[in-house]
Amino acid sequence: MSALSVKHLLGIKEMNTQDIELIFKTADTFKEVINRPIKKTPSLRDITIANLFFENSTRTKLSFELAEKRLSADILSFAASSSSVSKGETLIDTVNNIIAMKVDMVVMRHPYAGAAKFLSKHIDATIVNAGDGAHEHPTQALLDTFSIREKLGDLKGCKVAIIGDILHSRVALSNIFCLQKVGAEVTVCGPPTLIPKYIHELGVKVETNLIKTLEWCDVANMLRIQLERQDIKYFPSIREYVMLYGLNKEILDKLRKQIIIMHPGPINRGVEITSDVADSSQSLILQQVENGVAIRMAVLYLLATHLKN
Amino acid sequence: MNNFIIKQAIIIDPNSKYHLQRKDIQIHQGVIEIIADTIAPDSLQAEIIEGKDLHVSPGWMDLRVNLSDPGFEYKETLESGAQAAIHGGFTAVACMGTTAPALHSKSQIEYIINKSKHLPIHIFPVGTVTVNAQGNDLAELYDMALSGAIAFSDYRNALANPDLLQRALQYSSGFDKIIIQLPSDKKIAGSGSMNEGIVSTKLGLKGIPNLAEELMLQRDLMIAAHHRTSIHIGGISTAGSVELIKAAKKAGVKVTCDVHVVNLALTDEALMDFDTNYKIMPPLRTEKDKKALIEGLKDGTIDVICSDHSPEDTESKVKEFDTAAFGMIGLETFYGILNKAIGKELSVDQIIEKIAINPRKIFDIPIPTVNLNQKAELTLFCPSETWTYSTENGFSKSKNSPFNKVKLTGKAVRTILAK
Repeated sequence: MSALSVKHLLGIKEMNTQDIELIFKTADTFKEVINRPIKKTPSLRDITIANLFFENSTRTKLSFELAEKRLSADILSFAASSSSVSKGETLIDTVNNIIAMKVDMVVMRHPYAGAAKFLSKHIDATIVNAGDGAHEHPTQALLDTFSIREKLGDLKGCKVAIIGDILHSRVALSNIFCLQKVGAEVTVCGPPTLIPKYIHELGVKVETNLIKTLEWCDVANMLRIQLERQDIKYFPSIREYVMLYGLNKEILDKLRKQIIIMHPGPINRGVEITSDVADSSQSLILQQVENGVAIRMAVLYLLATHLKN
Repeated sequence: MNNFIIKQAIIIDPNSKYHLQRKDIQIHQGVIEIIADTIAPDSLQAEIIEGKDLHVSPGWMDLRVNLSDPGFEYKETLESGAQAAIHGGFTAVACMGTTAPALHSKSQIEYIINKSKHLPIHIFPVGTVTVNAQGNDLAELYDMALSGAIAFSDYRNALANPDLLQRALQYSSGFDKIIIQLPSDKKIAGSGSMNEGIVSTKLGLKGIPNLAEELMLQRDLMIAAHHRTSIHIGGISTAGSVELIKAAKKAGVKVTCDVHVVNLALTDEALMDFDTNYKIMPPLRTEKDKKALIEGLKDGTIDVICSDHSPEDTESKVKEFDTAAFGMIGLETFYGILNKAIGKELSVDQIIEKIAINPRKIFDIPIPTVNLNQKAELTLFCPSETWTYSTENGFSKSKNSPFNKVKLTGKAVRTILAK
């Protein structure tokens, strides 16, 4: 296997286990490359990539740009706040602009679910979904799973808890798909108002008690509480959220085992996790960032192979 | 040309003594003149209509159609909608009043009546219950009824205020007109754009729970029962709604209801590709709901099947799923989809009851029959004919159908209407 079964990276849902393994193996190589004194490879020379961010993003955008630069691609980046999407340019106009610019690949983040799929149906370029609404964020799931694999080795039977706002989270959904494909077990945990009613049908366990969840898991992925995404209040106050679902050092130390702590960032310090947890030796948070570049290099590289063929 | 001879057609009409018989039918100047085993072509210069597996029934009536006129003539007009309806086998349609301006007063109702007078189809306007369908003040229902409104409905803006609904039901019962509610609690449905279920979870789309429909339906049935008024429930989509209506009918509530044909044919699985043509209201539900709806048709809980023809322009549909408009066109594909969904579940005469007899019975509209000396209002159809629908060759001004280039079995061949 040296090629992906998919032409675009729209979501983990469409990929198979071999695809994920291939991305991981390729990322292993790129991780080694970016730790060399000369970090750049010519793999994507003459490939033009447009980064379209219709929703605020700092780290994902930087991570993609860095990955593209390390691969020697020509890049152009476009950022617009989500509000300008709702009142201004439609996605179909964006599509037409992209066609006119003759780019080879498009990395897009968009506030609406299905936007990446929409793009893939209307343009010829290769699409990489950098997050579409509450649907998928495939590269985040890949880098999360890659980071667990790096730390624990085999993922079969590994117990991963995803904790927080599951309802509005594309990270949760992509992580569930990805972890299940590599054989891990998943529990989602959070306030019942933030857990989709039918999520158990995906084959995940549903738990509302933080301590029970932590006792069960090997890895806890603490999601960011996105107050800006909630059109109504799902819990009365941040204070009460912290009382029920905030992870601090005291809770962590009381557990009978050492678990790994992850967070997709940016952290609300003192909300999902306290600073001492974020900065502890159990935390994988900075490795996640580093691995993000390697994973995105791998994805772009593998999809570009399709392009050249 | 008002002279026809229909050759060897099976008559499907429970109100005809020729029901289920294969006959030749001669129509002279719009009137059914002869029904016999064979009729020889004569001097009338009648047009001969023949075909394999030809069936004839009273003209079909679609109880829920958006003709987008006035206000959205770029999506549909009375003329284009009429052509689409005729090609779908309908001799009558009821058009929704949520136009711009809304059909909320005598002059708008008269606009529809006058403009459709010369069209080869009956167009029955459904006035809005409230001014501009905004759910605040009752529109002049009696005046509209006098002008020809057959019923009243705020369509997708179902009356949320229970007090307003009870007054609308009471008031319209005074002159025997019926309110049509399409139940969906806006607070529970929120900004949902498809059925809430495993599919919406996988797609990261906000779901519309069954609860949104059933909660309002339950309430509406209680209000109608309390005042002993009639109510018609439009577009039910869940197994729970079928149960609620079944129980209400059993308890003697004067309720009738209908279902949109695509809800019988498809489930929310159709949305896996984010195709906005499947974004409809009520949404496509699950297999369990679909089966319950079909059972509801069989046992008589559901009285009518309609298309909910909802034309939308490209700008409203070719876009992100969340912001795309609800609705699909459905007049021309109606029978093909219906036949696929329930052709084996219901008999042809059961189907004709739901698409030709009951819609008129409920709203007190004269029911055409295939009998001698009757004015011809007929639909000719072929349950076994296979054809391919294409939006390009379609008659609707809009193209928002997921059935473009789809092969269908069952075709409405033509309609004959002597107005």
